[in-house]
Amino acid sequence: MLFAGLPFATLLTIAAVAGGLTVVFYILKLRRRPVAVPYSRIWERILRDKEATSWWSRLKRLLSLLLQLALLSLLLLALGDPRIAGSLIQGRNVVVLVDASASMKATDVDPTRLEVAKREVKKLVRGLGGTDRMLIAQMDAAVMPLSTMTGEVSDLETAVDQLKATDTRADVKRGLRFALDSLRGLTKPEIVLVSDGAVGDPKELSAGLDFEGVETRYIPVGRSGKNVAISGFSVRRYPLDKARYEVMLEVANTNEEPVDVELTLIGDGQVVDVSRLSLQANERLPRFYKDLAGASRTLEAKIKLADGQNDALPADDHAFALMPERRRARVLVVTPGNTYLEATLLLDEYLDVTSVAPAKYPPSGNFDVTIFDGVAPPLAPNTGGSLYLNPPEEGSPVKLGRAMQEFGFDVWDKKHPIVRWMSMGDIQVAKGHSFKPEKEDKVVGASEAGPILVSGRRSGRKFVALGFDPRDSDFVLRVAWPLFVLNTINDFIEEDTSYVSSFFTGDVWHIPAPSGAEVASLKAPDGKIHSVPIKEGRAVYLGDQAGFYELLVKTEPEPTTSMFAANLSNLDESKIKPAESLELGGKPALLPSGFDPGMRKEIWLYLLIAALIVSSIEWFTYHRRITV
Amino acid sequence: MGVLDVFKRATAPVSRRLGPVSRRFGIQKPEKADLFDDDFQKKLETLAIVSRRVFAGRQRAERRTKKKGSGIEFADHRDYTAGDDFRSVDWNIYQRFGRLLVRLYEEEEDLSIYFIVDCSTSMGFGEGKKFDQARRLAAALAYVGLANLDRVTIVAATDEIVARMPTTRGKGRIFKVFDFLRRIHCDGQTGLKDSLKTFVAQHKRRGLAVLISDLYDPAGFEEGINVLRYNKFEPYVLHIVDPAEAHPNLKGDVRIYDCETGDEREVTVTAKMLERMERAWNEYRDEVERFCVTHQVPYFAADVDLPFDELVLGVFRRGGFLR
Repeated sequence: MLFAGLPFATLLTIAAVAGGLTVVFYILKLRRRPVAVPYSRIWERILRDKEATSWWSRLKRLLSLLLQLALLSLLLLALGDPRIAGSLIQGRNVVVLVDASASMKATDVDPTRLEVAKREVKKLVRGLGGTDRMLIAQMDAAVMPLSTMTGEVSDLETAVDQLKATDTRADVKRGLRFALDSLRGLTKPEIVLVSDGAVGDPKELSAGLDFEGVETRYIPVGRSGKNVAISGFSVRRYPLDKARYEVMLEVANTNEEPVDVELTLIGDGQVVDVSRLSLQANERLPRFYKDLAGASRTLEAKIKLADGQNDALPADDHAFALMPERRRARVLVVTPGNTYLEATLLLDEYLDVTSVAPAKYPPSGNFDVTIFDGVAPPLAPNTGGSLYLNPPEEGSPVKLGRAMQEFGFDVWDKKHPIVRWMSMGDIQVAKGHSFKPEKEDKVVGASEAGPILVSGRRSGRKFVALGFDPRDSDFVLRVAWPLFVLNTINDFIEEDTSYVSSFFTGDVWHIPAPSGAEVASLKAPDGKIHSVPIKEGRAVYLGDQAGFYELLVKTEPEPTTSMFAANLSNLDESKIKPAESLELGGKPALLPSGFDPGMRKEIWLYLLIAALIVSSIEWFTYHRRITV
Repeated sequence: MGVLDVFKRATAPVSRRLGPVSRRFGIQKPEKADLFDDDFQKKLETLAIVSRRVFAGRQRAERRTKKKGSGIEFADHRDYTAGDDFRSVDWNIYQRFGRLLVRLYEEEEDLSIYFIVDCSTSMGFGEGKKFDQARRLAAALAYVGLANLDRVTIVAATDEIVARMPTTRGKGRIFKVFDFLRRIHCDGQTGLKDSLKTFVAQHKRRGLAVLISDLYDPAGFEEGINVLRYNKFEPYVLHIVDPAEAHPNLKGDVRIYDCETGDEREVTVTAKMLERMERAWNEYRDEVERFCVTHQVPYFAADVDLPFDELVLGVFRRGGFLR
């Protein structure tokens, strides 16, 4: 027998003090309540009879003392938390991963899969052995431990109550990695996965993870349910006609039977389009709404079964998107005269163009973008982002390299926003210069002889430098030319033509935010406000709710507010058919065993119960005047 | 100490009169409504009529006494002595036995009725129901006595005679009785032997002595009654009993003290003990009754919970008060 609670010496000390006090209190008599009687001689007659049996009274009082001492002993032993020596080192260490992804919101079981999962986990908690310890973690796109590795039932039950389903996918692999890390070095490690099994490719789960010596258990939750989903929803403005936009939407049927659905498109709360679709079994049906016009800022898509019934997972029946905000960009062109450039700037009606001769730079007013055509004067504070076309040596943001003739773009960064989707390889240039970019600069395009298109930052302001005069090439005759100029302007004003109209829940979002600020306030769809850090002009946040978000950044002179949308849009989560079995670490995960409610092997619990029983006996005998 | 002094003492504040015991334990007596209100007085008249009907045919003050005198009913003979009335000589006896004997007759006179009201602290115990009942009974019986032209005297006794209403007769004096009974209060220790010794010493004229008491005498009630018997009074015991005292509302560990003597005792009251208490109380009552019956003392137990007029009728039926 070992004492896992208070040390034995301490227990002895407490026993001596408490036992002594009990005896002293027993000996000391409390002052009794005085009560007047009319004639004490009658009482004396009774008491005379009673005194004849006083030895029995004394014995009964002794019994009372013995009961109190027994009670004290039991409580002290309970404090000592006695354990059988063998059991102390054999406790299991269990990590319970509870799937809290969007599919756990499915209502195919009453009330939801997550609530059923909670019930299952509580059963495990109540069935913990006296020396077992458990850690409960919520697993969605991230893994969040809700308790420490503990044997305290109340703590674990509190952790279970904190479980909350999110609108994200389940990253089971990350969860398993966390569980394995938590169990490293612990005895009898065990992982219990409580999930509906909508976890993507089962083979991928265990790849690269070492399950040696770790028991894996799986508790499946849910029945097969009927579900249709919006698996993709995106909107973009046309690059050259930003007043118009197109919507891409994908609807998926995850059932084995065909279904008819009703799809509703809503713009700024008003219904834009309602259509009825027939989906075959497991069909994914993309839909495009082209050449839409209107001032709508928010777009929502809703889907429901045509027969009016609800499907089992409402979370993927609603998708959100936000149109990129349109604002008039102020562009300053410092040029002695360039027809191609002026013509290009006329293409976008949302540009407010001011042209000045180099000698008149800088003009009054603030500008978002300044295009320096063949000049590179010292930058004025109101310049904004700068596009240099064939900058001279003096004043160029990038040092000039050697002069070149008859060259072109041999390599270019196809993912860079200013040249994305553009074919630069067939541009012929008569003459120009290469650049000598600095370390932080980004070479967007280069010929064999050196970089000819460089972007970067100088004094916190963006710049793009082109190493040749476009008029000395056929660049100005190609479609790429206006795209290059407009992409560059959009890049400077953070208005990307490849704007992502919505983020995916469960991803780490990098939301464009004004440079300079370090913290932003993010208002989630549920109304809660989160403080998010801003790094390199992007607010970073791991979103787990679908809907519209609002980002507030404190800037001077007034705060900047921007909105964006987030969607689940994950077909794996929409496939809510639960997996009956799961293979983890190369072997099938079985149902948990050894969690028998009411069989906690903790002696102190039974001692406490015994103390309560003794206390009840004492109470009963006292009130029945047996021990008084 | 004169009568006025007695009344001053009787009307002093309760807390002062209760003495050291009551001060120690804070016994307070509540104020009460008038004991002898109009309703009470109406009932008295009824009782007086009932008493006349029950004993119809009797003459006023027509009670036999043990005193020999000039009545018409033969009582006894005694030897003739010089100076006796010759008319009283029984010549028939002289003719038959040759002895001069004088015939004695029971003297018929108006009766003296004494009401001895126990004013000890135990009579005022609890809500004072016993004391109220005692005073009502004393007043009612005194009225009957006054109405029969008897000589009525009331004394208040503890271990001494604490107050005395002078002898009076005629029912018009009933208000004097009320006034006296209103003024007396419970205070002091019961001591029947001492107080009744004083009583018999103060009252040479023998008569009916109605003892109205709970008989909670630490020295024993027997001595007090015997004092009356031995001094040729006709004792009549009206035992005031409060059944609530047989069932004290007690539980657990308490320290009981006698409200008169202050004697303390630590007791743990259990259900069994309460049962024994009831038994002991009933035994005590039986003991009193047995004593009275054995010694031919009329006894009547007056329950505080019964109406006084019903009790008075019970006294009439029991006999001994009026003959």
